[in-house]
Amino acid sequence: MISKMRGWIGWIFFLDMLNGLALTLGYMFSRTITMQYPDKQKWQPYSRHRGHHFLKTNDEGDLNCVACELCAKICPCHCIKVVPFEDHKGNRRPSVFDIDLSRCLFCGLCEDACPADAIALGQVYEMASYDTSDLLVGRDLLRTIPGKVEKGGTVVGAKLIDREGVHVRETKGEHDWWRRVWGRRNKAKVRLRTHHT
Amino acid sequence: METLFAISVMVIKMAVVIGVLLALPLPLTWMERKIAAHIQQRLGPMRVGWHGLLQPLADALKLMVKEDHIPEKADRLLFTMAPIIALVPPFVVFVAIPFGDTVTIFGTPVTLYLTDMNVALLFILGVAGIEVVGLILAGWASNSKYALLGSLRTCAQLISYEIPMGFAVIGVIMLAGSMSLVDIVNAQSGWWNIVYQPVGFFVFFVAALAEAQRIPFDLPEAEGDLGAGFHTEYSGMRFAFFMISEYIIMVLMSVLMVILFFGGWHASLIPLPGSLIFLLKVCFLIWVFMWFRFTFPRYRYDQLMSIGWKVLLPLSLANILISGMFFA
Ligand code: SF4
Ligand code: SF4
Repeated sequence: MISKMRGWIGWIFFLDMLNGLALTLGYMFSRTITMQYPDKQKWQPYSRHRGHHFLKTNDEGDLNCVACELCAKICPCHCIKVVPFEDHKGNRRPSVFDIDLSRCLFCGLCEDACPADAIALGQVYEMASYDTSDLLVGRDLLRTIPGKVEKGGTVVGAKLIDREGVHVRETKGEHDWWRRVWGRRNKAKVRLRTHHT
Repeated sequence: METLFAISVMVIKMAVVIGVLLALPLPLTWMERKIAAHIQQRLGPMRVGWHGLLQPLADALKLMVKEDHIPEKADRLLFTMAPIIALVPPFVVFVAIPFGDTVTIFGTPVTLYLTDMNVALLFILGVAGIEVVGLILAGWASNSKYALLGSLRTCAQLISYEIPMGFAVIGVIMLAGSMSLVDIVNAQSGWWNIVYQPVGFFVFFVAALAEAQRIPFDLPEAEGDLGAGFHTEYSGMRFAFFMISEYIIMVLMSVLMVILFFGGWHASLIPLPGSLIFLLKVCFLIWVFMWFRFTFPRYRYDQLMSIGWKVLLPLSLANILISGMFFA
């Protein structure tokens, strides 16, 4: 009876609508979850992220790669091209190591197949380009691509340094506001649920 | 000399009103996008200018250089006329709207309105109704099913909501004993009308939402089922005309609500200049309109009709009856 009355009173005074308005009002003055990429912030992916490939080097500064071409064989997209040669130390190394990123699906099989721990997929994901020929990455460029970084899964400060392609430089400062937002949202959900039962 | 002075004051006032009205949609689109964004926990435009303040200018520029497309099967004359017919009435209406009381500039009293018509309310409701003709023509001339359905809905919606809106203001007219907006505002120097006329305000507010075609009553341009409603086929500046007209109508409805129910430029407690108070109140109501837009879903068409005819109309009639018995 009482709940029925409450239902009627609610209907007359638009309580459900007022509830909705209160909720959106709260959101209007709450913290936003927008990441201001690329102007101010940028997402640093977790270290498990499969991004741009890079070639690892050993202590002497040579590539680990022994040009066995296993990665080229296993690649489902046939986007790796390896041509072996013998360097001045008598080691088998690649003279050509091209990856066509426009065809790569970032499956990571090349990383798994490699017997010499030479190739890996790093955390660089800004590969956008106006020209597909930029996406054909050669051996010497692959050496310079930064490898995996430890502080994955955070938002770091960043700045757009030029507009030809995306070149975003990291600046100082780490942010973890997004963790707080998620935490709060889950709390709010719990509150809603308890409120209704 | 006297007449020349009066005429020049008039011309200046007109220029100011038209200029402000033409420029107003720019900040309003920015405001709308920001409010939408923050309700959805986003930031909205941030990159053009400080906090995206120049975004509307960029949008306006984009609309100006966009292709002005007229569909092949469209009725060219009506198609080009429609946006202008939709644009002009909202501007004309502001002739009758007072923005403040008399102020003294350089020793001469200047009224902050163009005219103080004795039938201002009637004039406003009548002229604002003409805007619909533009929308109907737009839908008809586009020769597109979405546009036609959109304008049919506009038509039906505005017919069903103009009536309760007209009735809702009758209570206010009874209280003031005049249809002149200046008299109505001056009658509220004590208590605002919303105290005596909460039901009238409610009816007027809902009808104003429908009139301005805002959510939850934006069926004429329900993007889910109609593309963009009556302006589906419009692009470039013609589309911008419809947008401007829509924003001006929203401003008009807020202004009318402030004048009719919120005491116009009277504020008993806050010591600020009258026009500023008026502006703040209008801004607040516009904000409420936008807040509603991003909170509620849209009503179904039959719900829209039954709210109009079965709820608002009886409510407004009862309101007339009660105000007639107790106040007049
Ligand atoms: S990530 Fe997969 S698709 Fe890309 S190069 Fe390696 S094996 Fe080929
Ligand atoms: S990267 Fe690894 S798998 Fe590929 S050619 Fe070099 S050593 Fe072989």
